[in-house]
This record gives sequence, structure tokens and C-alpha cells, in this order.
Amino acid sequence: MISFRLDGRSVVPPYLQIVQQVRQALRMGVLDVGDKLPTVREVVGATAVNPNTVLKAYRDLEREGLVEPRAGHGTFVVGRPPGPPPGTHALLARSLGQWVRGAREAGLDDESIESLLRITLRAAAEEETA
Amino acid sequence: MTWLVWRQHRNQAYFAAAALVAFAVLVLITGLQMASQYHSALTACTVSHSCGNLANTLTLGTPLLSLLVTLTVVVPCLLGLFWGAPLVAREFETGTSQFAWMQSISRGRWLTAKVGWALLAAAAWGGAVSALVTWWSSPANALNQQNFQPGQFDIQGIVPVGYAVFAVALGIAAGTILRRTLPALAVTLGVFVFLRLVIGQDLRSHYLTAVTVIYRFGHAWRHPTGSYWLIAQGLIGPGGHALNTPASFSGAAVNGVPIAEIPATCRALAFQPNLKLTSCLASRGYHGFISYQPASRYWAFQGIETGIFVLLAAALIAVTAIVVLRRDA
Amino acid sequence: MTDFQSAALPAIATRGLAKHYRKRTALTDCTITVPEGRISALIGPNGAGKTTLLRLLAGLATPTAGEVAVLGATPGRDLALLAEIGFVAQEIPLYRRMSAEDHIRMGARLNPRWDGASVRQRLESLSIPLGQAVGTLSGGQQAQVALMLSLGKRPRLLLLDEPVAALDPLARRQFLATLAEAVAAGGLTAVLSSHLIADLERTCDHLILLAASRVQLCGDIDTLLAEHQVLVGPRKDTTAIERDHTLVHAVRTARQVTLLIRRKGPVIDPAFEAADVSLEELVLGYMGQDAPPAFAHLTSVGEDQ
Repeated sequence: MISFRLDGRSVVPPYLQIVQQVRQALRMGVLDVGDKLPTVREVVGATAVNPNTVLKAYRDLEREGLVEPRAGHGTFVVGRPPGPPPGTHALLARSLGQWVRGAREAGLDDESIESLLRITLRAAAEEETA
Repeated sequence: MTWLVWRQHRNQAYFAAAALVAFAVLVLITGLQMASQYHSALTACTVSHSCGNLANTLTLGTPLLSLLVTLTVVVPCLLGLFWGAPLVAREFETGTSQFAWMQSISRGRWLTAKVGWALLAAAAWGGAVSALVTWWSSPANALNQQNFQPGQFDIQGIVPVGYAVFAVALGIAAGTILRRTLPALAVTLGVFVFLRLVIGQDLRSHYLTAVTVIYRFGHAWRHPTGSYWLIAQGLIGPGGHALNTPASFSGAAVNGVPIAEIPATCRALAFQPNLKLTSCLASRGYHGFISYQPASRYWAFQGIETGIFVLLAAALIAVTAIVVLRRDA
Repeated sequence: MTDFQSAALPAIATRGLAKHYRKRTALTDCTITVPEGRISALIGPNGAGKTTLLRLLAGLATPTAGEVAVLGATPGRDLALLAEIGFVAQEIPLYRRMSAEDHIRMGARLNPRWDGASVRQRLESLSIPLGQAVGTLSGGQQAQVALMLSLGKRPRLLLLDEPVAALDPLARRQFLATLAEAVAAGGLTAVLSSHLIADLERTCDHLILLAASRVQLCGDIDTLLAEHQVLVGPRKDTTAIERDHTLVHAVRTARQVTLLIRRKGPVIDPAFEAADVSLEELVLGYMGQDAPPAFAHLTSVGEDQ
């Protein structure tokens, strides 16, 4: 069962953090189709977040076609976000981890790595539109 | 609510019960001993026809014991201080009154339970102590006939119940109005002592008009018998209206006539055999008088005084109720 | 916006509520509405009237003027209503020498609806001993006991006066989680006064802001945040903006001006950079001159206001 971690300091509103964490869990394979999401009460009891926040997040997920509430039983995963299957993510995560280790050994700190990633993403986007 | 009152005050109740039991044991043991002492003395004097003098020859109990019994006069006041003053004030101080009032019960129900049990306990304890003291004093009463006197009157019979109920009601009212236990204690003590003194000293003798007997010296007259309460005695001058009313215990008296009152012309005879003085006074046109409350009125007086204190208690409880129901928590 | 449809009957509705004492005024002209199912944050500087408002809502004090309706009835007069309201005062009054178990038994006898089993179960899950005298428990544990007891009577409205003030972060989180869970279970509205904006931001969805004994803001937090905006721009004449919108608070330095406004429409001035408002900025903006010294450096730094 997934557990949510809410960052009070983030600019991302809490309900969106929940949505993003569910999507990410589905991409990584932590959650799969047919799994049951924690009930509103369980999330609230674990995070002290307002019940309406959780309800809003679950409604958004339902609208995206990722989850479906079943009366009396809970909310269940019914779809995955578009993109490659969870296995691909795990694979890429591993190779990325190796690259990061190499970069660190070369002497790059986290800020440099992040800025390098941003530059590379932008360059790739320009390349695609070109 | 009864359960809550018990749970809150049960330590106090245990302590008071222990004290009462200890007192009862002491009273029972010494009382039985004094009673048998009295009865054997009575049997003996009946045989020797000397019972008239028994009061002067027989001493029951010890001075320490008598002091302890006399000190039970403070019991009502103690009940008022320990049970009455903190009852509501403590709850205001700690905020538990607010807690209780949010528990779906009305303030009236809360107050009724607390006050009701407190007054009942006060009456019970005051009554128990008084019953023990009255029983313990019965040989002494029969012997010395002093139970109508101030001091003895206050610790026997039913008045201690009235005092106890009043003291607790006073403590409760003070605590409710002042909202703090310490000021309530001070006010309760002060007001209680003041009222007891005022009512006991000044008011009590006037509950019923005292019986006044004017007697002519040398003539036989009906002396009051039994445990009457002497209010005043003295001389009536030749004019018939010079009525001095000294307290019966101020200064020396000869044969019931205060020395200070004796006219100069007869004073020289004051300590001569009785007849000389009295005939001197009679020849000068003096009469004697005695004001007293007869022994038969003892229970009437007990009832009246108890009634006064119970009415005062009721008034205080009414004030308490109004304050609790109307004021903000 | 919310899943619990605002019932026709709000949990709390006051109009012109006021409380005057001989020497001071605690609350004036207080008009608020709290829909059912909300967890409302009651914020304001000390002395602004938060405790007074809560006591008026609980029926522990009577108003000097105005009207107050809780769950449709007048508090303080209605015994049936008393069973529906829970109140935990700042001092957490409990019978110090009695144990939590004693309090639970007392609750069973004095309340028509009582769920002692859930109180016991919740306290046990927090490892709070039930048989020990409550006065010997830590401040955090006492607060938890008081909260669980107030929930045990199954109220429909819960009023909490600075319940987390003395708690450590973990105890605070547990307290708020229990409260939010009880609201999630349905049928409960809560009003919670506190100074800790981070906590309130997480758990609350409604806001009542008091300052200078008056209501400055009252409404759903999301709506209020959407209605406000921070504008940062070069120091210049701001009359146009102030005319078109409501100026809440302004900070002017030699070069720059920062405005907190309540929007009445879109803001079309290109000189200004618009930013979303956080709950903390909103609260501090309205508390303005009333802000406590700790936050003073965040408000007026400029020459004038």
C-alpha cells in the first residue's frame, strides 16, 4: 500500500502532491492496476491533512482515468499514466543512478547536476522542434 | 453525577470518617465510664440522703477530656472551611467546572448534586458529633444542670446540625462569588464566627421573653429548677423602677444579689449571715429580681436557633444558585 | 470545491456578535459562517477575541449584543445542543487526581451519547496509560486525553482553544491527525485556534481571522487565497490599483513597493509582478499593525504605509 509524504514547504499544493505521488508510483511499478488506494481516513490519519484535500486528489485521479471508486470497497487503480511500462522506468532509473555516481566522483555537486539536467532537457526539446 | 461527587471527594470523606470514628471510640469509652461513675454515686447518696450536695462533691471526667468535648464547637466551622469553601471555588480555579458544564448536564443538575451531598454530609457529621457529645454529657447534665448555658448549648442537641449546614452553605456561597478558595476560606471563617457570636451572645436570650420574678426578701418564692438559663439578676430600688440588669456572671454576688448593687447602708452586712442582709434590704424597700429562661424551654430554643441557621443556609444556597446559573462560566 | 455539500444549515452562523466587559471590549461586530464538515482555523493575535468567540459558541458565555446560532440553535440555552458541542479550553481542564479511565466512566454517565470504547482504543494506540492520575501525564498526553474525551461524546461541533500550544511536534501531528480523521469519518465540524500557521495550512480548509476584536476574514482557505494576490513592482503611484481592488497591506521601500490586494477582477498593470499568496502572507497582511513583534520585520520596513 502506498504511503504519502506531504511537503508543507513545497509550492505544489498538497492535493497535487498526492496526485503526483500516485502517478509516480504507477510509473515506477510500486502501484499496479487492481491495487487499492488507502482510504481518505487512513491518509488523513497518517498525514493530518484535511480530508477534502485527499478527496480532491482522488477525484482528479478519477477524472484522469487512473482510479475508480467502488462503493463500500474503496478506491482502486484502473489505469496507468501514459508512457513506458514500469519496467522501463526501473531500468532507466538504474542507469541514471550509475551516471549520477560517475558525475559525483568527477566532482559535480547536486546543484551542478540539476542545472546540467535542465540544460540538456532544454537542448533536447529544441532539437525535437527543430 | 453522584458518582462524580463521590469520586472527587472520597478522600475527604474517608479522612472525616476516620476522625469521627476515633472521636466516637473516645467518647464511648469515657462516656460509659462516666455514666457508671455517676450512677454509683447516685445510689450511694440516695442511701445517705446527701444527694442535694452531689454537684459539689462529684467531678465527672477530667479537665482535658472536658476541654476536648468543648472544642467540638469548632467542628461546624471546620466543615465549612474544608468542605464548603473549596467545593465550587476549587472547580472554578482549575477550570473543571467548565469541563463538567460541557458534559451535556445542566448547571442546575451539577450544582444540586454537589451542594445537596455537601449539605447532607455536613448535617450527618454535625449531627453525629452532636449525638455523641449529648449522650456523653447526659450524666454531667443531670448532675450540673448546665446544658442551657452558652458553651454547652452550642455543642449539644440539634443546633450543631444547623451550624454545620450553615457553615458549609456559607463556604459554598463565598467560594462561588469570590471564585478563589483562599479568599473564600477567609470570608467563611470571618462571617461564621461573627454571626455565631452575634446570634449566640446577643440574640439568643431574646428568642422568647425571659421569665422575670420579682421577689421580696424574707418571703418564700419559687426558685427556678432544673437546667434553667440565668439571664440576669439584681435589685429593684424602692422607686420600683431602678432596674439594674447586670449579666449574672459579672462580679461577685451574695445569695444571688450582685455586691455592686447593694446600697451603701447595707453593704456592711454583705458577708454576715444571710438574714441580716436581706432584712436590711427589705426594710429599705428593695426587692430582688431574677430573669431567666426556664428549663422547659430548652428544646424550643434549640429549635429556634437551628431554624435561624437553616434559613440563613437556604438563603445562601439560593444566592449561590442564582450566581452559578446566570454568570458566564 | 468540497465533497461535503454545504448543508442548508451552517454549523456556525453569527451576526453582529459582540462581547463587552466593564473595562474592555473583547469582540465587536462579529459576523461569520462556518459550513458543516469544515476544519476552520481561528487565527489572530493574543487578545483579539479568539477565546471569547469560542466561549460564546460553546454557550459558556452570553453575548452582549448580536446573535449566534450553532447547528441551528442558540448555545447556552439548549440542553440538547450541549450534547452536540465539544469544547477543550486552553488550560486543558481535567480532574487532576482522576485517571483517564475515571474520566471515561464519568463521560458515560453524564452524556446521552457516549462512545467510551473508541476513546479507550485511541488512547491505547497512543500508549497513554488509562489507570494513571491525569495530573501525572505529560502536557501532550493530557491534551490528547482531553481531545479524545471531547470526541467521545460524539459531538457535531468541536471547539478547540489553542490545544496544540504546548505540544512537541510529534504530539501536535498526532493530535491533528486524530482530529482530521474524526472529521473524515463524517458528521463533525471543527474550529481550532492556533498560532502555528504551518499546522493550520495542512489540516484546515476554512479560516476565521480576528484582529483588534473584529473579524477581518472568514471563508474557505482556497477561495480566499485565490481572491488575493501579491504585487511587487517599482515604487510608483498605486492609486489605480487601489481604486480597482481592495488594498490590504503595502510595504514601501525606497525603490520597491509590495502590495497585498484582494482582487475584484484581473490585474492588468504590466509594471507589477504578480505572485500567489501563501496563507502566512495572507494572515500577516491582515494582522498588519497588530502583528506580534516576532513578525515585525516582515511587515512595515518603509517610511510610511
